[in-house]
Amino acid sequence: MTKDTHSMTVLEQTRAPRSETSPRRRRSPLGSRWTPYLFLAPAAVFILLFQGVPLAQEIYLSFTRTSLLNPTRSTWVGLENYAHIFGDDDFHRTLLTTLIYVVVCVVGSVGAGLLVALLLNRGFRGRGVVRALVTVPWAAPGIAVALIATWMLNPQYGIVNRFLDAVGLGVPGGAILDSQTYALPAILVTTIWQLFPLTSVVLLSALQAVPKDLTEAATMDGAGRWWTFRAVTWQVIKPTVGLLALLMTIWSIRRFELIWLMTKGGPVGSTETLVIDLYAQAFDSKQLGTAAAIGMVGVVISLIVIAGSRFVARGAAKEGIR
Amino acid sequence: MRKPRVRRATVAAATVVGLVAVVSAGCGSDDSGSGSASDGGGVTTLTFAASTFGDPGRGPQLEEWLEQFNASQDEIRVEAASVPYPTFGQTVLTQMGGGEGPDLVRFDMPEFEAASDAGLIAPLDDLIDAGEYELLEQPDRFMVHDDVRHGIIFEASNYAMFYNADLIPEPPTTYEDFFAIAQSLTSGDTFGLAFRQTEAEEAGVWQDIFNYVYGFGGAWSDGEDLTINAPENLEGLQAYKDLYDANVIPRGADAATFRRMFAEGKVAMELNNGGYATHLLAESPDLNFSVAPIPFPERSQGAILAPIVINEASEAKEEAATFITWALEPENQTSLQEILGASSVATATERTPESLQELPFLPTFDELTESSLPQVVLGFEAQTPDIRKIVVQNVIAALQGQVDLQTALDDAQEQATELVG
Repeated sequence: MTKDTHSMTVLEQTRAPRSETSPRRRRSPLGSRWTPYLFLAPAAVFILLFQGVPLAQEIYLSFTRTSLLNPTRSTWVGLENYAHIFGDDDFHRTLLTTLIYVVVCVVGSVGAGLLVALLLNRGFRGRGVVRALVTVPWAAPGIAVALIATWMLNPQYGIVNRFLDAVGLGVPGGAILDSQTYALPAILVTTIWQLFPLTSVVLLSALQAVPKDLTEAATMDGAGRWWTFRAVTWQVIKPTVGLLALLMTIWSIRRFELIWLMTKGGPVGSTETLVIDLYAQAFDSKQLGTAAAIGMVGVVISLIVIAGSRFVARGAAKEGIR
Repeated sequence: MRKPRVRRATVAAATVVGLVAVVSAGCGSDDSGSGSASDGGGVTTLTFAASTFGDPGRGPQLEEWLEQFNASQDEIRVEAASVPYPTFGQTVLTQMGGGEGPDLVRFDMPEFEAASDAGLIAPLDDLIDAGEYELLEQPDRFMVHDDVRHGIIFEASNYAMFYNADLIPEPPTTYEDFFAIAQSLTSGDTFGLAFRQTEAEEAGVWQDIFNYVYGFGGAWSDGEDLTINAPENLEGLQAYKDLYDANVIPRGADAATFRRMFAEGKVAMELNNGGYATHLLAESPDLNFSVAPIPFPERSQGAILAPIVINEASEAKEEAATFITWALEPENQTSLQEILGASSVATATERTPESLQELPFLPTFDELTESSLPQVVLGFEAQTPDIRKIVVQNVIAALQGQVDLQTALDDAQEQATELVG
């Protein structure tokens, strides 16, 4: 029996026979082909109003010279803002810093999260308490995390300098956040510290979905821990890791408050990412057009990442079918 | 009786129309364009935005001062709007750029110049007869642009050297002495000096380095061209860098930290403005500190000039002008002077014996008024924030040893010249 004939049979069996004599029932409006669109309409209107319109406005702004002080008096300059930012060496450095920040944050937060999730997935006394404690950095607001990190890194009273001095790794003067060498790593460590609890909790739930019989079978077949992880566990949690990586990438591109509060993009632009540059252009230099062009670069990068991730996911799905 | 049937579509349409009407009414209800409001009983309420309202030492007293004005009026009321200093310019300028914002604003100079250049400040010539008052000449001349008055000095604070009198019985009078004392008092967690040197405090670094530039005979411009890499500037900033390199300052410490250290006796000297004296006295009444002129070769230093202005978008400009006129009355200037402590106000006022007893160094500050200059790039006032970013970034690059100071200033000169055209 083909799939279609099977469907027909089921339908015929389940559908009640229509009485020849009963009056024809009015078709419910909820049954019309427009119903899905009706349900989607509020969300679509919301997205159009609060995402679409500002985005369109930003695209328009990026082709104008507009001052924050006189936003109504803007002039059309075509691609001038884009030519300006792409011709600026500082912007190239900003793009590189953004790339480093995103890659390290994604790899660091997902990697650390996976490691912690694997540890928490094992049975030990006090596991519940440890699981609760691990989520604390995620529960703390970004501003609080930035302030805590700044205090810990303070050259005068910060605990980090005391510790580094004690083990002979102290930074001269102790000013980690004012060093072009150490400021970005310090921000990266803080970001990963804030993000890994989320990834570990999500990955822990994914690990608990790994069928135990499969891992047991792998073990009985003589596979070591690493091979069991690779052949069984990883295959189950891979989609979750992919989703987390995508989320972390988008969030890292957009991350502002932590970097702004810790260094404001300094010293000498060494921690300046796209959003920090955007903010500085909009509110320090008051150039809304340039800021919008930088914002559009961020939007395009995000779209490329999303498209890339869908492409990778589709490829993985095909591989799975084969 | 049969109820009339209402079609669902009609109900839905009516709901949507109703919602749109409510939202439209809500959006259109506040189109005043500024902070002013009338209560319907004839009282116009004005908003006065200043970062100093949040100052724990002076904020409550300034609000009491406003209440004195409110008590003297039947038709106008002024309410304080406190906006934190780090975000003040950004917040208020964004509001004003959008045709909104407070009626009265106490600006710092860079933001004042930017707002003035963008036409966001109401000209005062038709609203206030400035000739009626004995305005302090030196700070007041920066309130007039192209013969149009845009502001009245609310507070003028000269920079001077604060020192811990327990640690330094005799204040230094030359840069060499200053350097030597800073070195001799630096030991362990005690430092001879403190200044801002991090990009996170860009505006503060700019204020601090002005004293070194002016104090060694330099300037950022000659009024027509930028002179960022002039030899005098190099000499002044080299003096600043030498102190940094000598490790006599708590590196990486922000202003809040090193000011607390000064209050605790862990920092011996700092260069700061008169507004800080009142704050310090309020926070650390037992601290034995004093003030002397900055001991650099030239008697010229920066000053915090803070004008009060009227928002061009205000619908109550005359009422706002009434407040400024009230503030300029001699007795109200005197009471404002008492609140501001070591700062000056718009007009010359006599220091009271009580003030002089509490702050015996007040004459030191007053004598500096004639040699103080605002912390803007003269001739390029409106572009000061952009030039500031370039200069501070390059100076910090030199502090960190990335480039030598001469190269840093040359780079800054080139970048800033390209910026201003």
